[in-house]
Amino acid sequence: MFEKLIDNSMAKSPWIFHINAGSCNGCDIELVSVLTPRYDAERLGFRLTGTPRQADIVVVSGPITLQTRDRLVRTLAQVPEPRVVVSLGSCPRSGNVFKGSYAIDGPLEKYTHVDVSVGGCTPKPEAIIAALAKATEILKEKRKEMHK
Amino acid sequence: MLPYLKKAVTNLFKKPSTEAFPAGDPPKAAEGYRGRIHYDPTKCMNCGMCLRVCAPQCMHRDIEKLENGDQKVTFTFDMTSCTFCAMCADFCSSHAITMTDDYMIVGTKLEDFLVTGTMIKKAPPKPKFTPEQIAEMKAKAEAAKKAKAEAAQNG
Repeated sequence: MFEKLIDNSMAKSPWIFHINAGSCNGCDIELVSVLTPRYDAERLGFRLTGTPRQADIVVVSGPITLQTRDRLVRTLAQVPEPRVVVSLGSCPRSGNVFKGSYAIDGPLEKYTHVDVSVGGCTPKPEAIIAALAKATEILKEKRKEMHK
Repeated sequence: MLPYLKKAVTNLFKKPSTEAFPAGDPPKAAEGYRGRIHYDPTKCMNCGMCLRVCAPQCMHRDIEKLENGDQKVTFTFDMTSCTFCAMCADFCSSHAITMTDDYMIVGTKLEDFLVTGTMIKKAPPKPKFTPEQIAEMKAKAEAAKKAKAEAAQNG
């Protein structure tokens, strides 16, 4: 009975969880600047949450280093379905300049599905907002499919 | 107290400092911004300098040999691998690679991030004479010269 109401309200406010998988902090700062008054993604309902169990959208930045690999897998497993994974910057998709390093075990596709990717090193906040908007649409579709 | 009040009242009638982006067009990037690579295959001469200087090895070159000796060269730039250092653009002596100010590199598939271009590198024109023919012609010319010199000596 309340399913539809919950779905509608959840679609309007997707919560973001950010995983740093060995990023250089460039992308992390840009993601935080998306939430500042200048770009203000919170007016669109996005909110940075501190726990993966409440997240709808997971944003991963950084090439997957050996140190973060197990933690990344464990954290991703804690995010409830339906979840949308957004890869931030060039690193998670390919390893960027760290490609071929002994300390890297990427790309991100090895561990999870990647729905939306943002290119750039680092991406501009506007590009991140556009990616998050796309992720929201995908999330809506996934939720619809789950209730079928 | 009064200056604060003045500021508060003026701020009431000001435009919000938040960018309206998802509603309108994305704002233009700053001058000299290094965004998505633009590749012009008509200017490229396939020297391969960009491949050498690319730190993340984001580009790929396919060379296909055609029947008439020409080469079909395809360059592929992967924007999810690029670090946007513009070294390839700096080193490109024919300015085939340039950095645009397009920063909206967002997509769901790999194809959204690829920049490709194909050019045909012409084979060098075939020489008019073969080396054997040239040697023969040289020998002939030398013989004629010798005969002429001999004729001059005798005469």
